[in-house]
Amino acid sequence: MKYAPLLLLVTVAVLIALPWLVSGSMLNAAVQMLIAALFAMAFGLLCGQAGMLSFGHAAYFGVGAFAAVHAMNAFGGEGLLPTPLLPLVGGATGLVSGLLAGYFSTKRTGVYFAMITLALAELLHALAPHLKTVFGGEAGVSSFRMPAWGIGFGSLNDVYFLTLVWTLLCIGLLYLFSKTPLGRLALGLRENAHRLRFLGYNTHALGTLIFAISAMFAGIAGALQSMNIEAANYVVLESHISTAVVLNSFIGGVRVFLGPAIGGAVMTFFGHVTSDLTRVWLLYQGIIFVLVMMFLPRGLVGELVERIRNPSGEGLARTLSTLLARLVSLAIAAFGAVFLIEFLQRFLSPEYRAGVTDGNWPDIALFSYDWAPLSVLPWAFGLGLFGIGIALVTMVNRRVAARKEAQA
Amino acid sequence: MGFQKFARGTAAMALVMGAATAAQAEPLKIALVETLSGPQASTGLLYRDAVKYQIGKINEAGGFGGEPIELLEFDNQGGPVGAADRVRAAISEGATVILQGSSSAVAGQVTEDVRKYNLRNAGNEVIYINLGGEAMELTGSKCHYYHFRTSPNAAIRVNTLLDGMKEADVLGDNVYAMNQNYSWGVDVQDNTVAAADRLGFTVVEQTLHDVNKIQDFSPYVQRIQAADADTVITGNWSNDLLLLMKAASGAGIDARFGTAFLDQPGNIGNAGAVAEGHFLSAPFNPEVNPEETAPFMEDYKSVTGHYPSYVEPATVFGMMLLQEALKEVEPTENGLNAADLAVALENATAETPMGTISMRGADHQAILPMIVQEVSLDAQYKADDTEYGFVPIKVISAADAEQPVQDSCQMKRPG
Repeated sequence: MKYAPLLLLVTVAVLIALPWLVSGSMLNAAVQMLIAALFAMAFGLLCGQAGMLSFGHAAYFGVGAFAAVHAMNAFGGEGLLPTPLLPLVGGATGLVSGLLAGYFSTKRTGVYFAMITLALAELLHALAPHLKTVFGGEAGVSSFRMPAWGIGFGSLNDVYFLTLVWTLLCIGLLYLFSKTPLGRLALGLRENAHRLRFLGYNTHALGTLIFAISAMFAGIAGALQSMNIEAANYVVLESHISTAVVLNSFIGGVRVFLGPAIGGAVMTFFGHVTSDLTRVWLLYQGIIFVLVMMFLPRGLVGELVERIRNPSGEGLARTLSTLLARLVSLAIAAFGAVFLIEFLQRFLSPEYRAGVTDGNWPDIALFSYDWAPLSVLPWAFGLGLFGIGIALVTMVNRRVAARKEAQA
Repeated sequence: MGFQKFARGTAAMALVMGAATAAQAEPLKIALVETLSGPQASTGLLYRDAVKYQIGKINEAGGFGGEPIELLEFDNQGGPVGAADRVRAAISEGATVILQGSSSAVAGQVTEDVRKYNLRNAGNEVIYINLGGEAMELTGSKCHYYHFRTSPNAAIRVNTLLDGMKEADVLGDNVYAMNQNYSWGVDVQDNTVAAADRLGFTVVEQTLHDVNKIQDFSPYVQRIQAADADTVITGNWSNDLLLLMKAASGAGIDARFGTAFLDQPGNIGNAGAVAEGHFLSAPFNPEVNPEETAPFMEDYKSVTGHYPSYVEPATVFGMMLLQEALKEVEPTENGLNAADLAVALENATAETPMGTISMRGADHQAILPMIVQEVSLDAQYKADDTEYGFVPIKVISAADAEQPVQDSCQMKRPG
């Protein structure tokens, strides 16, 4: 782990240089990735470090978003709250609502805790459409980013840097927090709350505090989002926002520090790229989650950290060659599966069905070839590649297992 | 001498090249920012079919400035955040016109994004054509010069529905307003109450209920029964409409329902006989003006594989309005100038199979004929492969369907 500071420095440098490296559309995706990363980190503090699985984190994200949008309208980017400081409002609102909600929900643990967070979020979600003055009704509350401190905040670059500074600052604060005694106690709460209580700690107050801090950072993420899109709508309180942050955090690895952030960023990027390419991107997202949970239960980052900490003892060259072999065979299987799914989706689409006349099935264009749907070729191609890929993976796995056995 | 000749030659070259670029204008890019994946995708895909159909027609007729129009499709992932993102992407890819329709929440985001973009990029404006976000505030407090709505709104829906039912003598004296408790439902309720004096009925009770949460509507049906209502006017859609109608039919009450979205695909298939005799006000019915409508129905089916229904006809008509406006605009050397198109759209009228539709300059709300229709076994075109369909009861002309401009619309015009 001695390369960690260097890696961090390079990452930050790349992030700062990003506006000059990528297109506007990608920079836009980067803003959302940063926001998703911060939101996932806030969730990770609660779920990963303190072991409290919340199913209602959209509530604090949404509360922060609405607070920021109202503050933006009230102050017009001047006076006490210039535009760059608006996330503070989101953070403060998140903190207060987190204290309130945390007080009730942390009275219970485990499944009951999760149910209470879910219920509180649903309460807000059900209430929001009725309070038109606060939540703006169906069309939402909109606002306008005003210039402040000599910065226009009209261009995407300005928004990107604003988001970047706040996200890095918050992730830094979260890191420092994990090193404080309170942060350490969060781990204790996760591992054994009973013992902590026997040691004389007030676990309820502790849980409430950590819940509130997590809600505060979620609120900041929400504020950043409403500043990015210059609006807030009550759909931000919907349960799928809560679900997405759970999925993202677990895909990244909820128990390693930067796991949730990377999970959030990767999955947001995945959605950004694939949603314009294919109509079934949600299916792929689901498949990825299931596969990660089945084969990499520690999450992507968690698994990586584990591999680096506990090397297999086979030497770098061998480890890398095994990894490469696995990746190549997985890529073959993935390509076969994607081909099959896309072909099936096109085959079953109503547009295609409209073109079918009297048993005349036109060719389907996919990956720059035209495939006849009634011939065996496309089906065999997809299934074959998938089968070959899976067979290769099993072969690699068997060889690794055999080597391990020989060593033992 | 030598220099003069050179200069003259260069000037002539520049002139020729300038003319060449003017003749070879950038193709017009139109971006559809719709919900194309996830649970809400079914409506988004209908908008896509209709938009693709009519852009195909525009391109067959020569496109814009001699070039075919390019349609870019973006998936807004069902929410305002994705929509904001995709609107930016669409603009950066050179789209001058943005189309969207399937949700008022997304419409609210898109219209504000377009307004702000235009404020920050004067001279390079983009236009938002709202194909179906029916919330009143989009042409009210949120109205602006570059937003155009081609679908009806709550006021048009409710007033035409009540007018048609009154004229068909099925409205009765006691009307119950049953709606979902959010801005759309409130709009429908307010318009129902406001029409009571004009049409001489009493609103016996008004109810706003939770949106898409209620499984058992029997308590609400009991209230309809207790209030002795002849007619229930509801803006409900999807499950809230189906379950309400089923509960009413189960309780054996004979109140007639006047609805806004009974023609959503799947509703008639799901409700079946329960829907018979209920009313709908919509911008289209396939049996009106059959000489023009029947060829349109068949042509649409031959291109998309199904008859147009629900939001599709109104979307096609909205695109016809755009087509007429584009005819009035000359392409500049940078392609379409959105400010010119906005002027043309404000004054556009189009002949549709349902009659003439036009754009109202004051708030950019389309003025369109509405057809009050009834679910019946006699319908020529059946819905959802059932034996039921919609029979036109009364065609309300565009002039009669028009509703006053809202006071809250303070449109800032350029110049």
